[in-house]
Amino acid sequence: MKNLKNLQNYRKFLALITCMLLAMSLMLSACGDNSAKPTDSNTNSTDTVASGTTPIASAEMKLVTAGTLTVGSDCDYPPFISLDGATPAGFEYELMQAVADEMGLKLKYLEPQNFDTILASVAAGTKLDLGVSSFTITDERKELVDFCIPYCDSNQACVALKDKGFKSASDLEGKVVGAQSGTTGESWALENVPGITMKPFNQTSEGLAALMSGDIEALFFDEPVAAWQIKNTYTDAETIEKIPTGEQYGFAVAKTNPVLKDKINEALAALKQNGTFDKLYDKYFPGVTAPSLKG
Amino acid sequence: MLRKNGTAQPQGTDGYASRGSIASTARYILRNTLAAVAVLSFLVYFVSLPQAPALTVERTTAKSNESSGNNIIGGQPTRITWEAKVGNNEKVASVTLRFPAGSTIAQGANVKATVLDDMTRIETEQNPVLTGDYATIEFPKPVPSGLLLRIEVYNVALPSATGDYFIDASYVDSEGMRTDLLGAIPIKVIGITATESVISWLDQQEWVQNWNSVLFLRIFFNPQLIVAAIPGLFFGWLRSLGLVLVGFPLAIPIGLGISFLRMARGKGGAILRFISSIYVNVVRGTPLFLQMYIAFFGLPFLGINVDSYLLGILVLAMNSSAYLAEIFRAGIQSIHKGQFEASSSLGMNAIQTMFFVIIPQTVRRVIPTATSEFILLYKDTSLLAAVGVMEQMMFAKSMVANTGNMTPYIVAACYYLVVTLPLTKIIAVFEKKLAAAEGLTTAPEGKQKKKRASSLAKEDLSTGDCHE
Repeated sequence: MKNLKNLQNYRKFLALITCMLLAMSLMLSACGDNSAKPTDSNTNSTDTVASGTTPIASAEMKLVTAGTLTVGSDCDYPPFISLDGATPAGFEYELMQAVADEMGLKLKYLEPQNFDTILASVAAGTKLDLGVSSFTITDERKELVDFCIPYCDSNQACVALKDKGFKSASDLEGKVVGAQSGTTGESWALENVPGITMKPFNQTSEGLAALMSGDIEALFFDEPVAAWQIKNTYTDAETIEKIPTGEQYGFAVAKTNPVLKDKINEALAALKQNGTFDKLYDKYFPGVTAPSLKG
Repeated sequence: MLRKNGTAQPQGTDGYASRGSIASTARYILRNTLAAVAVLSFLVYFVSLPQAPALTVERTTAKSNESSGNNIIGGQPTRITWEAKVGNNEKVASVTLRFPAGSTIAQGANVKATVLDDMTRIETEQNPVLTGDYATIEFPKPVPSGLLLRIEVYNVALPSATGDYFIDASYVDSEGMRTDLLGAIPIKVIGITATESVISWLDQQEWVQNWNSVLFLRIFFNPQLIVAAIPGLFFGWLRSLGLVLVGFPLAIPIGLGISFLRMARGKGGAILRFISSIYVNVVRGTPLFLQMYIAFFGLPFLGINVDSYLLGILVLAMNSSAYLAEIFRAGIQSIHKGQFEASSSLGMNAIQTMFFVIIPQTVRRVIPTATSEFILLYKDTSLLAAVGVMEQMMFAKSMVANTGNMTPYIVAACYYLVVTLPLTKIIAVFEKKLAAAEGLTTAPEGKQKKKRASSLAKEDLSTGDCHE
């Protein structure tokens, strides 16, 4: 019996030691990182302004894989991007291919990633070089990443089933609606339609499936995609309101990689100049004036 | 023109006026004149109308700046969107938005205008000015009629007191005339919440800034986001608990029923055993995730529309019932044969034996394994996030998406642990009691074999100690 008690005490002691070790390692890592940065900049000697918080922007173009432009997308936004079997297709894919060719790089699309995680991956800069998934350039997103020059104009659309009889987005007050998680459509609906319950989806196509099954009353997403989906797949649905927002898409680049941003902008400008961009734009959006590609 | 027609008509039709009294003709003329004047004044009114407001305000909204929820909190930066349409024959050279008294602008504030012709964006040169009191945008080339002006002010903080606030505006037309537009669309602002005030206090603390200067700590253990996520994920936690607290009790009778079928004897017993074993093996042999996909995306194709929360509960209950069936069967079969024989010698029938003798003994034996099944099921509620059921994981995911930070996941993990750790402890206590009460030989088999083995080993150790 006495031995048993000793054993229990021993266990408690062990637990205490483990806790202390954990706490110490946390503190050490905190201090270590803090002190490491200034010394790093000291050894580099030339730059004296490097601070602990802001990441140091390098003067060289950084790529996750040398010689390859690695792109992250949700691959579920036709006509901009969708999967044709296992390979991506669409306006953005062809544009990226042209940009990569112009820069003399190979193009690699990663496996489709949830839209709301792409910008964080771009900011982390370890997996992706570019986030290209019809990202609207917003001030909120600019706090996390940088954007290249806008390559497409867009608006919002509110889509519902034809037989539901909704006339505009304001008819949806107090209803359950959906949007892809993290999109501007989601935030527009939350800001402008009072009393809605928002159901976020990983993919717009999941939202469309939920719309078809009656799980949600309406879906908010970008107007060009809504037009395409209604025309090609979801013929029972209609756009009940086109919402003029005049938003613009841009490629997202890590803030620590300004050279890549400049290089992409140069490539886009070259494609605009030699007519490749306009030709490509006309292929996907016939009759619509191509954007000027000016920052 | 009107008057002339009016007087000419009676003369032209039957010549009555020429024969009738002069007085009646005069009255007729007078009446028509009055009518004509009324019509004319209406016309003048309509022609002059567009000259009054050249801008019609269509929307005034603010983006929610609550870390969890959809309210607009005063004193915290938000984005104000103001939309107005340019009226007929008008050109707008500049627009000024006046913020309610007490508004401030935060770091990184800016104002920009988007000009739209129906749905087409028109690139427009603009010179913005932004202060804490107002935002002005000048258009060197005035914006012509029919276009939509969409002005966004980013990182402006509305007054911190609760209330409805209005954005007054004024504009200057191409001739330099200034017109005021009183704000008519309210923005509902709530006072700062306890959470938000703690967060803004944290923002100013030096240790927080130092803490957040370490990338790892900022991304995984951000103090502000911990404070935001605790209340923000609370309802998600309740919803997850709700799923399992309804789903699991539902699974118990189903599981018990299936376990009886698995042990069925007599004439039709083989068929019942066969059917129930198919159910158990299929459910246990396929991933819960796949079962969820089949239920959530398959049923709508059959025209069956079940509320997704309810369907989530059903899927969890169906899945868990198969595991519980095996746990119960093992528990029942672990009861010594002598108990059955003794009951029947007392004159009990099979049902009486089951409910009064066997099951009461089984309950105690299956509690540890059933509890660990409960823990597994509780953790598996997170899978429902993938099919659009609002639960803990979904709440955490959307917070992570909004903040680009992993901290909400860590807080979500803590919420799961709040439930699972005490339960794990309870299992350990029960197992110890069980082992003490029954000796070490009649351990029910189940999912937690490994755990049992280790706890048995511990018992060995302690008994060994005692012998010394």
